[in-house]
Amino acid sequence: MVQTINLYKDYRIGKVLFPALRGVDVKIKDGEFTAIAGPSGSGKTTLLNIIGCLDIPTKGDVLINGTNINQLTSKEKASLRRNEIGFVFQTFNLIPVLTAYENVEIPLILLETEASRKKDTITSMLEEVGLGEFINRRPNEMSGGQQQRVAIARALIKNPSIVLADEPTANLDSTTAKEILGLMQELNEKHKTTFIFSTHDQLVMDFSRRTVSLRDGKVVEDKTKKRGSG
Amino acid sequence: MKLLHIAWRNVFRHTRRTLITAAAISVGLSAMVFMNTMMNGVDKMASRNIIDYETGHLEIFAQGYYREEGAFPLDTIMQDPALVIGKMKDVSGIKAISPRVKFQASISNGIDELPVLGMGIDIAKDAEVFALTNAIVDGAYLQREGDVLIGKDLAGDMDLEVGSFLTIITKDRNGTYNAYDLTVSGIINTGHPLFDRNIAILLIEQAQELLAIGHGVTELSIRASNENRLDDLKKNLVAEVGEDYEVFSWKELNAAIFEVSGFKRAGQFIIALVVVIIAAVGIINTMLMAVMERIPEIGTLKAMGFSNSGIVRMFIYEGGIIGIFGSLLGCLIGFLVSLYFVYVGLDFSEFFGNMDIVYPMKFIIKGELDYLMLLYVFLFGIFVSVFVTLWPVQKATKLQPADALRHV
Repeated sequence: MVQTINLYKDYRIGKVLFPALRGVDVKIKDGEFTAIAGPSGSGKTTLLNIIGCLDIPTKGDVLINGTNINQLTSKEKASLRRNEIGFVFQTFNLIPVLTAYENVEIPLILLETEASRKKDTITSMLEEVGLGEFINRRPNEMSGGQQQRVAIARALIKNPSIVLADEPTANLDSTTAKEILGLMQELNEKHKTTFIFSTHDQLVMDFSRRTVSLRDGKVVEDKTKKRGSG
Repeated sequence: MKLLHIAWRNVFRHTRRTLITAAAISVGLSAMVFMNTMMNGVDKMASRNIIDYETGHLEIFAQGYYREEGAFPLDTIMQDPALVIGKMKDVSGIKAISPRVKFQASISNGIDELPVLGMGIDIAKDAEVFALTNAIVDGAYLQREGDVLIGKDLAGDMDLEVGSFLTIITKDRNGTYNAYDLTVSGIINTGHPLFDRNIAILLIEQAQELLAIGHGVTELSIRASNENRLDDLKKNLVAEVGEDYEVFSWKELNAAIFEVSGFKRAGQFIIALVVVIIAAVGIINTMLMAVMERIPEIGTLKAMGFSNSGIVRMFIYEGGIIGIFGSLLGCLIGFLVSLYFVYVGLDFSEFFGNMDIVYPMKFIIKGELDYLMLLYVFLFGIFVSVFVTLWPVQKATKLQPADALRHV
C-alpha cells in the first residue's frame, strides 16, 4: 500500500518559492490502477517522484508497504527502488547504447539474478509486451510505442510491487496510447502490480478505475468508477 | 562486467570525440617518452665520454690531492705508484690500471699561445683503460719521446696538423718554468670537449721529467671488469690501499655535471607536466560533456536502483578506456619516434657550433630508450584519464534523481 500524509513540496528557483504540493493525502491499495490527473503544473510529477524516492518532500510522510521513506538513507532508497518500484517515463528514457534486451536486463543485473534464469525471463517479458522480434534493436531503431513497451518491460521485469508511470502516453499518438494503456491494464490484472500514473489526457483517465485529480498542489477530486462502468 | 560493457558502448557513442581526446593524450605522452629518451641519451653519452677518456671507472689519488675539479697541485702527488699497484694485485674485479700525470700548461705554435691541460700517459697501459686509440682521426698514437696528441679543435684553433711542431710550457714542481718542443703525431676526435679542445697528451716519462716529479704520478685510473659493481670494488680498494690514498668513482669526480643533469631532469619534468595538463584539460572537457549530456540518463539509472558508486564506476571505466587508447597510441608514437633518434641521432652541431659547453659531449645526441619508463608513462596516462573523470561524475551523482531526470 502507498499512503501520503499531508505532503508538501516547495521548489525554490532563485529567490522565488514555488509550492508544488500543498498537503496531499492519498491512499492507494495494492493492485490498484490509479490515474493522478490534472493540468500541467498541478503537482502530478512531483507527487510520483516523491512516492518513487526520486525526490524528497519539504514536509509530510510517505509510507510504502508500511515503511516511512523519509527515514531511509539514500542507499536504502536506492535499494527500495531496485527491489520494489518500476518506473515508466514520458520520454521512455531507455539507455541509447543498449538493445531492447539489454535495457530490460539492467534491473536484473542490479538484483544479481542468475544468468540461466535471466535469459528466459527477459525473452518472455519482451514477448509479453509484444516485442519478441525486436529484442536486438537499439532505441533509435524503434518507434515511440515500441520504446515505451521496452520501458514497461524494464519496469516490470523485476516483479515490483509498484509501477510509477509519469505521463506514459504523452509522447504517443492516440492509437498507440490506447495499446500501451491496454497493455498496462492487462499486466496490472495479471501480475497484481499497483500502477500509479500521471496524466492530463482524458483517454488515460477513461482507462483507469480510480482518478485522483490535483489542482495547484491539492487533491480536488477522488473518483472511483463502479466495476463494469469503465 | 556488465558495467564495463555499457561503458565500452558509451565510449563509442561519439567516436570522433573519443578519438580526438585519445589523440590529445597520446601527443602529451609521446612527447614525454621522446624527451626522456633524449635525456637518457645525453646522460649516457656524457657518462661514456667521462669513463672512456677522462677518469676510467675509478681513480686513486694520494691523500689530499683531489680537492676540487680542475686543480692540479704538484705537491700532493702519488710518489710511488708501483707500490700502490702492488697493494691492489689481489683485488678482484679490476680489468686494467693505468697511471696518468695531469698538469696545467700552455702550448705555443710560435705565434699564439693557449692554456691546455697537459697529460702524460703510459701508452701501453693507457690503451687498456681508455679508448684514446680509437679516437685518432689523423696520424698515429704516441710512439716515442717528443710525440704529442692533440684534439681536432685545438689543432684547428692553432693551425696545427700531423707533423707540426709545438712548444709545451709549464712550471715544474719547484716553480721553475720548463718547456719542450714536441711534434704532433696524431689528432684525436673524442666527442669530449675537454679532449678535443684543451688537451695535449705526451709520454708519461716526458711529463715526469718536465715537472721534475721523479716516478710520481697524479692518479691511477682503473677499468673495472663489471661496471655495475663499482661500489663493491671501491670498498675493496679503499681497504687495500690504506689511508694514504683516496679512491673516487667517476660519478663522484663529476658530481657537478650530474647536478646539471638533475636540473635538466627537473626542467624536463616541468615541460612534461605542462604537456600533461594540456592533455588532461582535453579529457576533462570530454568527460564533462559526456557527464553533462547524460545527466538525465544518470537519473534513469538511479531510478532503476543504481547506486552512486555504480554510476561513478561506469564513468571511471569510460575514462579508463579512453586513457588506455590514448596511452597505447602515445607510447607507440613516442617509441617509434625515439627509435629513430636512438639509431640516427639528432645533430645539434650546426646550432651550437664551437660554443663552450659544460657537458662532456658533442652535439650529436643519440637517444637511449628506457622500457620501464615506457610502462610508467603508459600507466600514468591511464591514471590521469581516470582521475580527471572523478570530478564531473561525483558532482552529477550528488543530484537528487528527480533533478537529474529534469536536467536539460
